[in-house]
Amino acid sequence: MTKSNLLDLIARYTREIIPDLDSHEFIASDRLVDLGANSVDRAEIAMMVQESLGLSVPRVELFGPKNIGELADLFLARLNVA
Amino acid sequence: MSPDLVVTGMGVISSIGQGKASFIGNLLNGDSTFDVMRRPGRMRESSYIGAEIDEIVFRSAISKQVQRAASLSAKAALVVLQEAWEEANLSEIDPNRVGLVVGGSNVQQREITQLQNDYRERLIFLKPSYALSFMDSDICGFCTSQFGIRGFAYTVGGASASGQLAIIHAAQAVLAGQVDVCIALGSLMDLSYWECHALRTIGAMGSDRYANDPTLACRPFDRNHDGFIFGEASGAIVVESARSSEKRKVKSYASLRGWAIAMDANRNPDPSFDGESRAILDAMQMAEWFPEQIDYINPHGTGSVIGDEIELKVLRSCGLTSAFLNATKSLIGHGLSAAGTVEVIATLLQMKAARLHPTRNLENPIDSGFNWVGQTSVSHQIENALTLSMGFGGINTAMCWQRQP
Repeated sequence: MTKSNLLDLIARYTREIIPDLDSHEFIASDRLVDLGANSVDRAEIAMMVQESLGLSVPRVELFGPKNIGELADLFLARLNVA
Repeated sequence: MSPDLVVTGMGVISSIGQGKASFIGNLLNGDSTFDVMRRPGRMRESSYIGAEIDEIVFRSAISKQVQRAASLSAKAALVVLQEAWEEANLSEIDPNRVGLVVGGSNVQQREITQLQNDYRERLIFLKPSYALSFMDSDICGFCTSQFGIRGFAYTVGGASASGQLAIIHAAQAVLAGQVDVCIALGSLMDLSYWECHALRTIGAMGSDRYANDPTLACRPFDRNHDGFIFGEASGAIVVESARSSEKRKVKSYASLRGWAIAMDANRNPDPSFDGESRAILDAMQMAEWFPEQIDYINPHGTGSVIGDEIELKVLRSCGLTSAFLNATKSLIGHGLSAAGTVEVIATLLQMKAARLHPTRNLENPIDSGFNWVGQTSVSHQIENALTLSMGFGGINTAMCWQRQP
């Protein structure tokens, strides 16, 4: 699993929650909040990624990342620990 | 003195169509779609007869994101509210002066059952949005955010009388000056197999007699009735003062002249002659009507053996044997929390069409001394209509509707 794979996964679930982003080109510096995801949407996206990775990240850690690149880094670090 | 309230917008969805035009067209034709229910989460080890709605058609104003997140009940609420909102031209009203009363609380049992089954073995990945979707405020949340409603919004619960209770609350809020316009919404009660099974167990839901013949199962007031048949539905009604409607130059369907709520002091599902009579008499008194003035009744008429019998005894004792009578539930089934609203919509659309819809499967009325609309529609201009609802827990409601001159 690479960072690019993880970014694709985050993009896929973000598009599922916010269908209007269908043609949006996701980049690492994108912030979910700027893309129109409210706090529940962001929790849904993070949960869908975790489930597809078979990974459970403590909620408090999910507050850290400032953009989807940092979110991908967090999941990647967790995967490598596991 | 009776109040000066009118209905200026309506929206409806049911098993026989989305939108008023197809709804009244199919009602007058006597069309219905009863069958063994197929929606996921409606059956398990057992099957139930009912009438389910088709795919809901959204117009562009409701985003895909909202459509994806909304439950079936919330989707139905959004499309009926949109239809009523546009007809009454509510975008012209100050959003702080618009209220919403949703009839029915916690109506989304089927989706909750589905979700809990789905996540039973993987609770750590539970959809976070379940924290919103299980709440009684969820339908209000979808509706107020979609339409920018800022006056007030809450649910009222009265079991199968919830739909009328919502209209009564809306009327009271407008009369009290809390808002200028109030929408009453009968929400789609989305039964899971748990509720279907329980309702069958107490003998409320039919049908044993017609288990293999779903089109014959729903037969309010017929000698072969053996319980209500469920039908998915939702409806919205815009209530405001006549003066407020004149300011916006919107047409109205009818005046709301009177209403009443009467309780039986009874937790159980059995009907009460006394409670039903008081609701009707109090509503007629508020409207300042004599029984002879009522020329159409839209009864509760579920197909319950004892419920149908008591209701006709009440109508007889109130002197209401000459008015036309049909049963909307015979065509669309029992919408439970939605029924009261949807049946008022059926009443006002029949008033507008000057025609009364048939009562499906009414072959041998349990009391033939009433002015039944039988198996074919009847041409009649309704002047004064009475609509009735009753709910488990001993609630009875009645409303009086007068044609606009």
